[in-house]
Amino acid sequence: MELAPKTLDVSHLEPFDISSQAPLWWGQVLIACIEGTMFCLLIAAFLYTRLRVDVWPLPGDQFPHLTLPTLALIPLILSAVGSFIASEGAKRNDRSRMIFGLTLNLVLAAIFFAMRIVEWHSLNFNWKADIQGSYVWAFLGLHSFDVVGDLVFTLVLIFCVVSGRYGEKQRLGVHVDSVVWYFLVAIWIPIYLAIYWGPKLLESQ
Amino acid sequence: MKRLWFALAALAYSAAAQQQSALNPAGPQSGRIAGLWWFFFYLLGAIFIIVMLIMLRTLMRGHRNAEENQPLENHERAQTRETRLRSIVTVSSVVTVVLLFILLVASISIGKANADLGASGKPMIIQVIGNQWWWQFSYLNDDPSQVLTTANEIHIPIGKTVLIQGQSNDVIHSFWVPNLHGKRDLIPSRVTTEYIRADRPGIYRGQCAEFCGLQHAHMAFYIVAEPEDKFKAWMQAQLQPAVAPATPALAQGQQNFLNYACVYCHQIRGTTASGTNGPDLTHFGSRRTIAAGTLPNTPGNLGGWIVNPQSIKPGNHMATIAVKPDDLQPMIQYLESLK
Amino acid sequence: MATQDVSPHIPNEHAELSLLDRVWQNGRGIFGWLSVTTHHAIGMRYIVTAFVMLLLGGIEALLVRIQLAHSNNTFLGPDRYNEIFTTHGTTMMFLFAVPVMEGMAIYLVPMMCGTRNVAFPRLNAFGYWLYLGGCLFLYWGVFTNAAPDMGWFAYPPLSGPQFTPGKRTDIWAQMITFTEVSALCVATELIATIFKMRAPRMSLNRIPLFVWSILVQSFMTIFAMPAIVIASSYLLSDRTVATHFVNPAEGGDPILYQHVFWFFGHPEVYIIFIPALGFVSAIVTAHSRRAIVGYPAMVLSLIANGFIAFGLWVHHMFATGLPQIGEAYFTASSMMIAVTSGIQIFCWLATLWSGKVRLTTALHFVYGFLVIFVLGGLTGVVLASVPLDLQVHDTFFVVAHFHYVLIGGALFPLFGALYHWYPKMTGRMMSERLGKINFWFLFIGFNLTFFPMHILGLHGMPRRVYTYGPEMGWDNLNLLATIGAFIIAIGGILFLVNVFWSRRHGRIAGNNPWEADSLEWAAASPPKNYNFEFLPVATSRYPLWVAPESEPASLSKAKTQPDRAVVTGLRNDRREVLVTTLMDAEPHHRYVLPGSSIWPFITAICVSIGFIGSVFNPWYIISGSIISGLALLGWFWPRKLLELEP
Ligand code: HEA
Ligand code: HEA
Ligand code: HEC
Ligand code: CUA
Ligand SMILES: [Cu+2]
Repeated sequence: MELAPKTLDVSHLEPFDISSQAPLWWGQVLIACIEGTMFCLLIAAFLYTRLRVDVWPLPGDQFPHLTLPTLALIPLILSAVGSFIASEGAKRNDRSRMIFGLTLNLVLAAIFFAMRIVEWHSLNFNWKADIQGSYVWAFLGLHSFDVVGDLVFTLVLIFCVVSGRYGEKQRLGVHVDSVVWYFLVAIWIPIYLAIYWGPKLLESQ
Repeated sequence: MKRLWFALAALAYSAAAQQQSALNPAGPQSGRIAGLWWFFFYLLGAIFIIVMLIMLRTLMRGHRNAEENQPLENHERAQTRETRLRSIVTVSSVVTVVLLFILLVASISIGKANADLGASGKPMIIQVIGNQWWWQFSYLNDDPSQVLTTANEIHIPIGKTVLIQGQSNDVIHSFWVPNLHGKRDLIPSRVTTEYIRADRPGIYRGQCAEFCGLQHAHMAFYIVAEPEDKFKAWMQAQLQPAVAPATPALAQGQQNFLNYACVYCHQIRGTTASGTNGPDLTHFGSRRTIAAGTLPNTPGNLGGWIVNPQSIKPGNHMATIAVKPDDLQPMIQYLESLK
Repeated sequence: MATQDVSPHIPNEHAELSLLDRVWQNGRGIFGWLSVTTHHAIGMRYIVTAFVMLLLGGIEALLVRIQLAHSNNTFLGPDRYNEIFTTHGTTMMFLFAVPVMEGMAIYLVPMMCGTRNVAFPRLNAFGYWLYLGGCLFLYWGVFTNAAPDMGWFAYPPLSGPQFTPGKRTDIWAQMITFTEVSALCVATELIATIFKMRAPRMSLNRIPLFVWSILVQSFMTIFAMPAIVIASSYLLSDRTVATHFVNPAEGGDPILYQHVFWFFGHPEVYIIFIPALGFVSAIVTAHSRRAIVGYPAMVLSLIANGFIAFGLWVHHMFATGLPQIGEAYFTASSMMIAVTSGIQIFCWLATLWSGKVRLTTALHFVYGFLVIFVLGGLTGVVLASVPLDLQVHDTFFVVAHFHYVLIGGALFPLFGALYHWYPKMTGRMMSERLGKINFWFLFIGFNLTFFPMHILGLHGMPRRVYTYGPEMGWDNLNLLATIGAFIIAIGGILFLVNVFWSRRHGRIAGNNPWEADSLEWAAASPPKNYNFEFLPVATSRYPLWVAPESEPASLSKAKTQPDRAVVTGLRNDRREVLVTTLMDAEPHHRYVLPGSSIWPFITAICVSIGFIGSVFNPWYIISGSIISGLALLGWFWPRKLLELEP
């Protein structure tokens, strides 16, 4: 059977796309999968360690305080709204919306982060103290590393948008940045539960 | 080429001569495992041969297909052949599942039978502590005077179940006597257990099976399985403190041992030597080997060991002590007299 | 989006071509070389680097074999021996087997998908530089007497600060970091490529099996690598900043490390093995000149393989003592994977059975694979049985098993794949005669080396011992194994000879010397930087074969199809490709790929400074992050803004 030559003309298609159809969006989701798996495994390892001992926190340590980290959840969750606004702005190429959303995100995230630093500072154990210290510091350190990285990235995006040095790529960047931030907000909740509540709830009598 | 044939011939021969072989069982557990092995061996071997025969057939058939070079087959015939091939694949897969199920049930039931060995009766408990690179054994007993601590060689009565209680002082080791049972890791901060039983008298070699550093290769031990009465006699002898030196030469040897740094690491019950960093030497003379199976226990080897343990077992944790040549001979004699 | 029956309107063909050539050109000079982002170049760099690692790992293997050739040998001392077997295992697993599969995937997947590059070309270049960094770092350690010496899975406490002081373990752990980041980059970009950049109408049920295998492998990488990130960070932070993750003295647990390691380690062996299954499928299809029997079954068992592989890591830890229910579960799941492997074997056999087999060298390697892998798989089933594993765990029986599955299951298909795709990569055929001699050396040498190890294991020879006494009766079989290893080495040399000889003197191949089915054969040999002048449309599962549009049940007569449907309307004055939908691969939008860039290289240097420095001083983690951040800023800095008009 002979097939006649055929062509498929695509010149009418958009030259870019800011949505979940973009390869970059997929790349970002996959990176979230990687980090998410890592945090989940670490949480599992933490609880496994907790269940191996009878006394927790280990003698000399206090439990991390609950109030401040719980309050800090409020700015954190709200900051995701900023991301959302920014990404909608990016899709519609609405500059002022992008600036507003990104700034809202940045400010609320910074507040959250400041509250975390204060709380972190009040812990009476460090990573060298014992196994609880090692884990709590690892969680805080890793998540903070990601948060700081994303804040810097957001700052750069704000700069680009404000200065007018932006095009589709940067708009796609804003959209994808929101994916990253949703992930960082979402993953913090199980970590929060694990460090602040998990060991308590798993109290062995 | 000649050596090659030699090697092939050795395949057949070597099965019998093994003193450390999973296929030469001396207890109920290794017996069951060996049985399971042969069951797996024949069943999987049959599968292998069948798959290989089919594969060889494809070589010939596929070639023929290519040769024949028929014109395009008609679509219907191709369709029925395709369906037939698919159903053959399906049937083979179902057979695979069934066979695997049989293997699964067989291995679970053998595993359970082996684990149930200790379910009845009160076993004798031997605590095994792994050290880089030697073994400490303690026969536990409610009566502290009956607790025996020794190293690198143990005896067990035949027909009696023994509970091995494994621990480690440093890194992970693994307790393994293939002729009796599979292995069990010795893990710091944990206690692991395993039951063993020997039904046939004999001397069985065991070897550390988890990589534990430089001298992992030289971390062996012996289990001597013997009838109950012989075992009891051995136990009684071992529980005694070290024999007092019977001759002046031996007394000199003892004195030398106590004068050198040996005492910081070695214990000889009945003397002031009470170190625990190294193997207990109270009945060293009764052991078959030196340094966890590294050398046969002969006076010559012992001298070599004391003078330069690092050349014999590089990296081991025994310090090299400059023993004066004059002091060495009595010391060797003394240690060898500790039966 | 229907294809239209008009001949392609190609205005001034030659002008267009040279435009494509120019737009996709790589830079010149050393700077240009460091900036390359085309997937052939990067893929080839992976493959070549990995083969250098195979050579080094192979030389180490020969040293190991010389030392074990007879009892009480003093060729290597215990310290050297431990360094060498650890470096051998580490090199082979992390620096050879995984990267070589990645390299093949990077090279082939974009072409098989009918596109011009991977989705993130610069990430791709970055990944390669990090991989190279890992190789150099480990071998820098090897040549400065700091090779790791605690085995390729580095169990603590032996690998902890107390028992292996010095930098050996740290170098190992940080080398892992290099390769894991690199592998994650590759996995991410390959998934994005396969999901979003397939040729129009290459719906999920038309994806070539090799591409499926890479998809499964990449997902496994995504979910398995985080575990080794954790395991190596446990070690590194315990050693450098005194945390207690695996320190039994402070509440840490060495067994937890084993769980985390094998949660990665088991999928890891399938990460190596699954692309090899893809090679076999591709070779079998092309050289038996017929469609694979049971394509859906093949795809489903690949996917099932990927899933099940995450549920059986504990079979490496039977000797640590588990509750009985755990033993039963992990035995069952380990055996289950024999079903999915079995289905694939049966499908290939059925295909060969009814195909028009052409006994090429590539197919020789497939037959070699079948023999060796089936035997190795069956010994895997032996190991899955707890009572049997308790006897043979950590003996040479296990060594025999995993060389059978690794070499038979991955290396033989890889050699077959190189014989198969070499014409595509270089434009010339490899010598078939030398190829067959090459095959027989490898096949015979392999079995001579590793078959005796089964018997040694059953007769009680533990692995990782630097020597053994003559009274053990292990001398003869070990000697046999050593002789075999040298025969393998001769086979290896013959392969290299063939590669270099054919590069110059091989027969000119043409685009599709095997009359194979998949899209990479539609590109020129060697391919142009942009692969296709016009992106192809996948009109069937075997787009280069004449076939009715409804997926044919049988394609026993394969004839390559001269006039294929193509995509027009992409702009050639920039690196534009087509993004298609996930399921049906309908065209969705156009997408401009970034061109050459030096920034991946610079960023990789900055990241390497952080990784390597942190072995010596933890503060490098901070300073390394900062300079890497700056480099990333340079990478993403908006230079040329995309024009808005289409
Ligand atoms: C390419 C890599 C690869 C592959 C594919 C496999 C495949 C398998 N492996 Fe292997 N394995 C390794 C690499 C691999 N392994 C490595 C590197 C180690 C050691 C790590 C170390 O300790 O250093 C190891 C160790 C290892 C162990 C631990 C041993 C120990 O340390 O004590 C176990 C235990 O269960 C095991 C089991 C299996 C099983 C059941 C399969 C199955 O997938 C095999 C399935 C295939 C078949 C069964 C053949 C084809 C099927 C048929 C023809 C159908 C008919 C069959 C039947 C009815 C049975 N492997
Ligand atoms: C893909 C993985 C892979 C590959 C290909 C190999 C290949 C080989 N391995 Fe490997 N091996 C491992 C993975 C692999 N191994 C792992 C993971 C371990 C466990 C490590 C541990 O316990 O920590 C191990 C352990 C291991 C041991 C056990 C050590 C011990 O426990 O004490 C032995 C012993 O014989 C061995 C031998 C060999 C040999 C002879 C080859 C040969 O097939 C190699 C042949 C290849 C070459 C020789 C190179 C090609 C040749 C040329 C290109 C020609 C030019 C070269 C020369 C002339 C020198 N290996
Ligand atoms: C620093 C500690 C230390 C000192 C000091 C020391 N030893 Fe040892 N000794 C060991 C250790 C540890 C071993 C076990 C070595 C091995 O097998 O890896 C050992 C093993 C032995 C053995 C073999 C025991 C057996 O059961 O196989 C003998 C005999 C021995 N030492 C004698 C001596 C004598 C005699 C001296 C004094 C001259 C001495 N040791 C000094 C630590 C020490
Ligand atoms: Cu102890 Cu190996
Ligand atoms: Cu496994």
